[in-house]
Amino acid sequence: MAQVELKRVNKFFGETEVIRNVDLEISKGEFVVFVGPSGCGKSTLLRLIAGLETLTGGDIAIADKTVTDLPPSKRGIAMVFQSYALYPHMTVFHNMAFSLDLQGLPRKEIKERVEKAAQILQMESLLDRKPAALSGGQRQRVAIGRAIVRNPDVFLFDEPLSNLDAALRHDTRVEIARLHSQLDATTIYVTHDQVEAMTLADKIVVLKDGEVMQTGKPMDLFNRPENEFVAGFLGSPTMNFFDGVLGPVVNDVNLAEFHGQGMELRDVPLVSTEKASGTTVRLGIRPQHLVLDPKGALKGKVTLVEQLGTETIIELMSPQKVLFRYASSEQIDLIAGQHASFSFDVGKAHIF
Amino acid sequence: MITRTFSHLVLALIVFIWIVPFVALVSTSLRSETEAKTSGFWTAFTPTVLGHRFSTHDKGSTVEFIEMSGNIFDRLNGEKSGFLVSGEVQSILIKARIMNPDKPGKTKLIRKLVPAGEPFETRGGSLVFQSNGDFTWTFPEATAPKPKKLDVFINQDPIFGADAYIEVLFDNKNVPNALISSFIVTIPATIIPITIAAFAAYAFAWMQFPGRDWLFVLVVSLMVVPTQLAFLPILQGFSGIASWATALNAWLTDCEINDSCQVASKSFASLWITHTAFGLPLAIYLLRNYIVGLPKELLQSARIDGASHLQIFTRIIIPLSVPALASFSIFQFLWVWNDLIVALYIGPNNASDLVFPIRLQKQLGTFKDQLHLLNASAVISMIVPVIVFLSMQRYFIRGLLAGSVKGG
Repeated sequence: MAQVELKRVNKFFGETEVIRNVDLEISKGEFVVFVGPSGCGKSTLLRLIAGLETLTGGDIAIADKTVTDLPPSKRGIAMVFQSYALYPHMTVFHNMAFSLDLQGLPRKEIKERVEKAAQILQMESLLDRKPAALSGGQRQRVAIGRAIVRNPDVFLFDEPLSNLDAALRHDTRVEIARLHSQLDATTIYVTHDQVEAMTLADKIVVLKDGEVMQTGKPMDLFNRPENEFVAGFLGSPTMNFFDGVLGPVVNDVNLAEFHGQGMELRDVPLVSTEKASGTTVRLGIRPQHLVLDPKGALKGKVTLVEQLGTETIIELMSPQKVLFRYASSEQIDLIAGQHASFSFDVGKAHIF
Repeated sequence: MITRTFSHLVLALIVFIWIVPFVALVSTSLRSETEAKTSGFWTAFTPTVLGHRFSTHDKGSTVEFIEMSGNIFDRLNGEKSGFLVSGEVQSILIKARIMNPDKPGKTKLIRKLVPAGEPFETRGGSLVFQSNGDFTWTFPEATAPKPKKLDVFINQDPIFGADAYIEVLFDNKNVPNALISSFIVTIPATIIPITIAAFAAYAFAWMQFPGRDWLFVLVVSLMVVPTQLAFLPILQGFSGIASWATALNAWLTDCEINDSCQVASKSFASLWITHTAFGLPLAIYLLRNYIVGLPKELLQSARIDGASHLQIFTRIIIPLSVPALASFSIFQFLWVWNDLIVALYIGPNNASDLVFPIRLQKQLGTFKDQLHLLNASAVISMIVPVIVFLSMQRYFIRGLLAGSVKGG
């Protein structure tokens, strides 16, 4: 049974359509990450679920109840904002107790629930402080704590880590993962950071221009992207793409031939089955899947070498003037101006 | 560096220009009537030569003596309780006869300043005084002279006293009544508009309703309407209301018996309404601009937490708007407290209900040249806003939003 269900959800800002017919089902306890470039509508979609924006069309149901016309507080959601949005004039305790207080719960119960949430987040000692006296990471925990005390059906996170520094970001990410497994709460998490998406998500929803590009488990998206956008968006450095012509297709297994870039490849997995033989297509191969091979068909001249210690990223220019990258976990002694050739496992390439 | 020095100089100049009238007012109010009348306030802080008249001894004494001694300051201060004269006696003005240089053989009466230590003749005796005020008057034989009045110039020490304040505050009820009336007018005329404006500002900032922006433009444009322009219609309105109220009073009560049905059209309430009406546009404008700048996420977070508009307003917006509310209340308080013209035309006009500025204006007539009394009244009327300002100052704290959102 779906905990959150979006049916043909639409949103216009004036004439601009920012969310286009999004259908989505989220099961109970699932950690879903909305990911996409800036302006793809991922935050808007989250705010539609929260009820902070009104739908132009479609329906949203949370815990089997249609919430399309309900105010945010009646939807059984709790939200953690990018900016934390703590009430600056209240102590941490009162920040967390605010929603319970508004519900008119007895003081004793409020105290119990706030203290329990504080214990989960290991911040009992901070309860008497005002937000101004907290560090960025602590403020983030208070914002999460404020969501926890409400005991919602769904947690909504809007880029919660983007205001933290790199080290703290990693710690807080681990913390959020721990919390999710501890509370077993349905969570929707918006980010533009693919590392957060890959590490946290049970299910990733990739958005572009208000449309869902692909939905699935992180590794499925990484290994079997359904379109060029998803293939290019996930993975670092980004996937290499080469133009070419589609050869004969073996339809029942979706393998095809690819001609281009001086390469003649057979049995390459074909993503779109609608493509006919002879059409122009693009071949995608991840930089990590290239192998240095003196006899390889893919040739290039080194233009840039980035030595990261644990990884080497080399940028090359093919004779056809296509820029591509090679990434290796080893330290490679190539310098700019040298020529190199590569081969790769065609099973790991994709034709789009 | 140069610009900083320059700006400091300009600042110092501005402070100086503003502080001078204040110092003049306060110092004059603390001086004696004579001093306030005879010399400028700038002489009040350093020794100044002033003339006094003293008599050598009390009238009606028949005791005979050859030598009498006394002290000029004791004679001057006598039974006085305040403004005791002290300092250095410089000279005494006497009339003396000298040989007339124009008419040989004849004498001429001249005025002459006799310095300390130099004896001079008066009433047949010889009088000599010291600069500390001690004088001795010696006669050739025992005699009982009449007291002699002498003009003495004293380089006088600065002297201050609160006598003028005691006089204006306790001699009659005018100033105390004016203080009370001013409070009766000012406190509601500050609280009512700020309360209404806070609600309106929230609605203009955060609630969606048709015509919101146009309505806001309309409210703000009302700021340009001068109060004076509206006096006539306002007065007509109030007198209309008053005649209705009079009729209602006659109908509901038996006021005809002692002929007390008349409801005044000029009252404290009409001042509250007028000041509220004219204070609202600026109040709404200021508060709306402040409230609209509060982080949107705070309100959204409160909405998710289940707060209604009223709860968001009272529990989030009001506590965070304290600096704006405080600064507007000071504006409004000062404006109403110092207002003369609205009170004059629309406020109550019976003597006991006059507000302070009208009382000050009336004192110009009654006290005339008694600067010390006028200034004491003025200082009393100034003290109140100063106290209000200082007590509100702690609400002008910066960084009230610290810790709320990023970068805060």
